[in-house]
Amino acid sequence: MKSLLWIGVVGCLVLVGVAMAADKPADGRELYKEYCKSCHGPNSPHGEVTPMSLIVEQWERFFAEKLEPSHRSVLDPKHDNRPVLEVITPEMLKKIKEFAIEHAADSEHPMTCG
Amino acid sequence: MVPRLHLFAVAVALLLPSLPGQAREYTHQKYFEHYEGTATCLQCHAEEARSFFHSQHYQWRSATAKIVNGGGKEFGKINVINDFCTAVGPSWIGLTNNSRGEAISKGCSKCHAGLGRLPEPGESPEQLANIDCLMCHAAGYNRDLYQRTDGGWEWRPVLWKNPEGLDSVAKRIGRPTTTSCLRCHAGSGGGPNFKRGDLEYAVTERDRTFDVHLAKDGAGLDCLDCHGGSDHKVRGRGADLFGDEMPDRPLGCDDAACHGSAPHTVEALNLHTARVACQSCHIPTFAKADPTDMVRDWSTPAYHQEQDKWSATITMAKDVVPVYAWYNGTTRAQLPGVAVTRGRDGRVGMMLPQGDRSDPRAKIYPFKRHLAKMPVLVGKNWLLPIAVEEFFASGQLDAAVKKGAEEFYGVKDAAYEWVETVRYMGISHEVVPARGALGCLDCHSPKGRLDWQALGYRGDPLVAAMRAAHGKR
Ligand code: HEC
Ligand code: HEC
Ligand code: HEC
Ligand code: HEC
Ligand code: HEC
Ligand code: HEC
Ligand code: HEC
Repeated sequence: MKSLLWIGVVGCLVLVGVAMAADKPADGRELYKEYCKSCHGPNSPHGEVTPMSLIVEQWERFFAEKLEPSHRSVLDPKHDNRPVLEVITPEMLKKIKEFAIEHAADSEHPMTCG
Repeated sequence: MVPRLHLFAVAVALLLPSLPGQAREYTHQKYFEHYEGTATCLQCHAEEARSFFHSQHYQWRSATAKIVNGGGKEFGKINVINDFCTAVGPSWIGLTNNSRGEAISKGCSKCHAGLGRLPEPGESPEQLANIDCLMCHAAGYNRDLYQRTDGGWEWRPVLWKNPEGLDSVAKRIGRPTTTSCLRCHAGSGGGPNFKRGDLEYAVTERDRTFDVHLAKDGAGLDCLDCHGGSDHKVRGRGADLFGDEMPDRPLGCDDAACHGSAPHTVEALNLHTARVACQSCHIPTFAKADPTDMVRDWSTPAYHQEQDKWSATITMAKDVVPVYAWYNGTTRAQLPGVAVTRGRDGRVGMMLPQGDRSDPRAKIYPFKRHLAKMPVLVGKNWLLPIAVEEFFASGQLDAAVKKGAEEFYGVKDAAYEWVETVRYMGISHEVVPARGALGCLDCHSPKGRLDWQALGYRGDPLVAAMRAAHGKR
């Protein structure tokens, strides 16, 4: 168990470094496309999920309570089969969350991520 | 057992402090459990549904007491031809994609508070169930166009696959807000502020210099504070709409409940209100955030690379100075199926304000003067609509005009020519603070806004009055 935690820590730190080194931080929409849409596009076996699939309240609940248990053991084939939760840094996640909420089903500008 | 605590979860908890609260309470929280379409609302609000069904907002037509040539008939968007998207008949509902497969148009029903059926004059269970109450009454409601398995199209909540989310939104019921009115009124004519010019999305964000009435730091009104009627009828028709649902309760700035007709301490200003409408001095310009469509030439297709879409050639303008004309509250309209009549300027008048200087009911009002080029059936001289949806994708104008003629009049392979048209659209929004109102010299000077001769004066009446006062007439 402990080792798993540490892999997580190291993985996150490395990724944070990469994200901070990047010239322009990617915006929420690009991040959503890169890190969520790959598994949640139309006809995906995991179900299509776009910002306007959920209302703001549900997104808040998702990020606070559900993301961790539902994605804990999911590996991301698009990113070297590493665990989803290692691939996505907290910074990226924050932007993804902002993007999802800004374009939620009950927002003023509901949107898919294109 | 050691909890499976992941750094990730900690990070999430630290970075995103907005932990979910209790399920929020909404007005209709306890009235129903699941939203099952309009039927849910009909259980308790059958009467209101009926009143909405009969309103102009649903029927898209109503009595036309203010149209001098209306002949006692009911008209509205549903059965007329205009110089924007021409007519709803051929373009009611359906998805039009460009060559890249992206949606470029979804039909006129996008701005109808129904779920996709054409409104019918007779009340029926299907028609009542077609009303989309949430469009006006539920904050956070959004809908999109979907194809049914039978191939037909309908508007559905974007949350149709998420019953929990939809139930939440459907319970957030309230009186319509400015935002709910603007979802249709600011986007009409095909894009932001295209049609009206003085009803813009930006109004909800700007300060009082943009619109003293609607700004939060201004009067803080919403649309309904002025337009609210009863039984789903709204007050006010403006100058260029056909219907007038509440002829007995017209809407004007000088209503006794609002400003009355002598609101100024400066007597010289109150002297004007008998002949000059309040709007003329208090709305110096319109289209202050988004440009508005001033000329729509349907005879010349324009291709837009970025959107991969065709349109008419549209000339847009921002910060537009209105034109001024006499208006007594009635209008002459160019009706479909009636030979077009041209004015002295050679243009067909789509909507012309009536009245002149000698008409005591008339005042000088500000207008957006919209010009266009429209097809007319050779021989009969009837205005023709255009099947715009297909044209947006293909750019095949000739086919679209012929299809319009066939669907609207049943005329096959129509021969047509182009005419120039003009429409006068009343300007009543985007009132600026008193400081910004027109000053004397904006009108009373050689370079003033008013064309005195065209308005029926020999010259500037102030100059004439001063001459008279000095005894040299
Ligand atoms: C590697 C694939 C993968 C990636 C990447 C991924 N997910 Fe998932 N997601 C899943 C799987 C698997 C499930 C569980 C589906 C099931 O229960 O059948 C799921 C479930 C969900 C659910 C519904 C279940 C719940 O917990 O409420 C949502 C919403 C969701 N994901 C959103 C996201 C978001 C947002 C992202 C990007 C931050 C994302 N997912 C990234 C695979 C992925
Ligand atoms: C079980 C009965 C019931 C159902 C179902 C119901 N309502 Fe109501 N509604 C009421 C009652 C009672 C009131 C008046 C009391 C109040 O204001 O809460 C009301 C008030 C309203 C108002 C006035 C709100 C205001 O703030 O002025 C609107 C608008 C409205 N309902 C629309 C709807 C719509 C749309 C639906 C369908 C989603 C719906 N109602 C479903 C019972 C119901
Ligand atoms: C679903 C789209 C939609 C919504 C929402 C909407 N309108 Fe309209 N409104 C229209 C259309 C379309 C017309 C023109 C109907 C016609 O000409 O036949 C119209 C006409 C009007 C008119 C002119 C009526 C007349 O007699 O000619 C007024 C005033 C008006 N709306 C105010 C409002 C207000 C205030 C709200 C918010 C409570 C609102 N509308 C919400 C679509 C909408
Ligand atoms: C185009 C916008 C629009 C749509 C669509 C609409 N309404 Fe309304 N509704 C209004 C407006 C504006 C008012 C407030 C003034 C009035 O009563 O006309 C109102 C008022 C109400 C009220 C309160 C009446 C009162 O006396 O206080 C109820 C209840 C209501 N609507 C129910 C419904 C139901 C049910 C539907 C669907 C069948 C519906 N409305 C569709 C605009 C709309
Ligand atoms: C301060 C009062 C006031 C407010 C607030 C207001 N209007 Fe108006 N509106 C008017 C007046 C006055 C007219 C002209 C009425 C007439 O001549 O019949 C008008 C006309 C209209 C018309 C008819 C077409 C036209 O432009 O002449 C529509 C549609 C309309 N308003 C929609 C709205 C919407 C939507 C809102 C909210 C964004 C709104 N109005 C806010 C006063 C107001
Ligand atoms: C000939 C131009 C003109 C006309 C017509 C006009 N106003 Fe004014 N109005 C002004 C000017 C200029 C001011 C600013 C006066 C000042 O700064 O003392 C003003 C000020 C106001 C004020 C602010 C109160 C005040 O006295 O400072 C209100 C409210 C107002 N007008 C409403 C109206 C209404 C309502 C009408 C129609 C009945 C109307 N106005 C017609 C030019 C006009
Ligand atoms: C929107 C344009 C406009 C503005 C601004 C305006 N006027 Fe006028 N004024 C008119 C018109 C139109 C008439 C003619 C009214 C009529 O036919 O009775 C007029 C008439 C007059 C007359 C009356 C002449 C006569 O025949 O007795 C005087 C005096 C006058 N204006 C002074 C002013 C002064 C002073 C101001 C600034 C405080 C002012 N006006 C602002 C349009 C304007």
